[in-house]
Amino acid sequence: MKWLLFACKNVLRNRRRSLMALTITAVGTAAALVGGGFALFTYDALREVSARETGHVVVAARNFFGGDEDVPMQNGLADAPALAARLRALPGVRAVLPRVQFSGLISNGDKSTVFIGSGVVPEIDFRMRGMQTGFVDGEPFAAGADVPEVAIGKELAKIMKARVGTSLTLLATTTEGNLNAVDVIVRGIISVGVPDIDKRLVLADVAAVQKLLLTDRVSTLSVYLRETADTDAIAARIGAELPQLERRTWLELAVFYQSVRALYNRIFGMLGLIMLIIVLFAMSNTLSMAVAERTREIGTLRAIGTQPGEIVRNFVFEGVAIGAAGALTGFAIAGAVTVLLVFAGLEMPPPPGRSNGYPLLINFSAWLYAFTGLAVLAVSTLAAYLASAKAARRPITEALAHV
Amino acid sequence: MSAIASPAVVVRLSGVRKSYRVGETSVQALRGVSIDVHAGELVALTGPSGSGKSTLLNLCGLIDTPDAGERELAETNIAGRTEAELTRLRREKVGFVFQGFNLVPVMTVFDNVEYPLLLLGAPAAERSARVTAMLGRVGLGGFEHRLPDALSGGQRQRVAIARALVKSPALVIADEPTGNLDSATAMQIVDLLRELAHEHRAAVVVATHDERMTSHCDRVLRLIDGEMQ
Repeated sequence: MKWLLFACKNVLRNRRRSLMALTITAVGTAAALVGGGFALFTYDALREVSARETGHVVVAARNFFGGDEDVPMQNGLADAPALAARLRALPGVRAVLPRVQFSGLISNGDKSTVFIGSGVVPEIDFRMRGMQTGFVDGEPFAAGADVPEVAIGKELAKIMKARVGTSLTLLATTTEGNLNAVDVIVRGIISVGVPDIDKRLVLADVAAVQKLLLTDRVSTLSVYLRETADTDAIAARIGAELPQLERRTWLELAVFYQSVRALYNRIFGMLGLIMLIIVLFAMSNTLSMAVAERTREIGTLRAIGTQPGEIVRNFVFEGVAIGAAGALTGFAIAGAVTVLLVFAGLEMPPPPGRSNGYPLLINFSAWLYAFTGLAVLAVSTLAAYLASAKAARRPITEALAHV
Repeated sequence: MSAIASPAVVVRLSGVRKSYRVGETSVQALRGVSIDVHAGELVALTGPSGSGKSTLLNLCGLIDTPDAGERELAETNIAGRTEAELTRLRREKVGFVFQGFNLVPVMTVFDNVEYPLLLLGAPAAERSARVTAMLGRVGLGGFEHRLPDALSGGQRQRVAIARALVKSPALVIADEPTGNLDSATAMQIVDLLRELAHEHRAAVVVATHDERMTSHCDRVLRLIDGEMQ
């Protein structure tokens, strides 16, 4: 305790210099925490979006994932209602939703274009995917209407000159290889935030799509869980209970999430590294000057029996004192920024290939704070060691003669 | 015939040589010096500048190593000791008083005097008692919480003496301890050193130019051109 007290007193010897090192450390710490917190917020948001989009676990017939189909639904799941019931009975499962993926041409009578569609159970699916907020016009359609209802992408609506209530025709290849068509009414116009998808997207009632394709199969069963953290455990359980089926977790299907995470990990990892190097230089500079100024004092303490390691330890305590004060100040700055952003309501611009921005928020992570604090302390210790190790081993007579 | 036991030898140097390189030239600082200093003895080391006084003090205080010759401190042969062992010996057996006082400015008077006891790992209660007693002995009772900057030169040197003697060392090395003091204060410091040397049975070796000081010492050694006269 005494040594720490002496270290703190020594830190205050040259207040301006110590304050400079502390400020640089605080800014570096805050920058690393704000950057890291933003990355964590992005990961969390993307994780939720990705898991909602596909379901936490997607179950399909063998060869569905990555396998080619000669005709639609060749690798589809038969007896989906029974499978869904078995899956729904597993603990932790919130909902199981059948989906039929299909594609073809959409026509307004004057003009046709390619669409990529999904047959869904509308009431539940929209709620699970959180798509109610994605409707730019109209509303979620209902299942079982006499004339099937659909929701189409915002860009596709422009191409088709369609509005809510417009009648369109879907043409698709059936499971027998023939063309089939069905008239549909546009009930909603949606945007998923990706213009390329909005240009092709059609969502329809799963029963209507099965009728169009002449099948009772579904492409996949999307299993929604109560807790995202249970994904791996329940995926393993499904694998054990239904070994004849293939399964993918949301993470395996979330290419965008994984790309963003890999990119941000590199960017913010590099940012953190640069911050640590800046802290190392600032701390080394401050402590090297302190060591140079106190060379005679070091010689005196060595003469009266202080071991070189004890001299280094004292400077390490000084470095740690500055580093800890800087890190704590950085914590406070980052915490203040985190709270401020909650109330500021700032928005990030849309990412490349997207049309919607997203809120600029920062996650608080105790783990990130602890790791950053420890990294700053480690860097401070290293800087103090580098600054003082040579001076502590300098011949005492030389140190005492230092002017 | 009964022999009267003479005081124990604290420092013994035998045929000690030391040279330094100054540029391309080798300077012989000590040329085969031999001395004994006994417990409780205040020895003055005099001689002109460059005669080797400081070098001899450094060798006695184990902060420098000779090129040749033998050294003993408190009956311990110094030859072949590692730097860590020498540091331990200094910690336990040697106190230093410097011309410029060399107190740690951020430490209070109490902390400066306590420092050697901290190094020795003395318990807090013992440290407190010994520091308080020593400060009282050097006339600085009540000055415990002051910083060195708030003291006069004489007071600072008293603190330095207290720091050197608080651990009851076998040897005290004092390099020009009165060099920065006025005459009256210098004499007080010399008297204090002598009294404490006798009280603590410490051998005290003082390098000095000050002729007034030598008259207060038990023995005077004169060094000229690295040789004892």
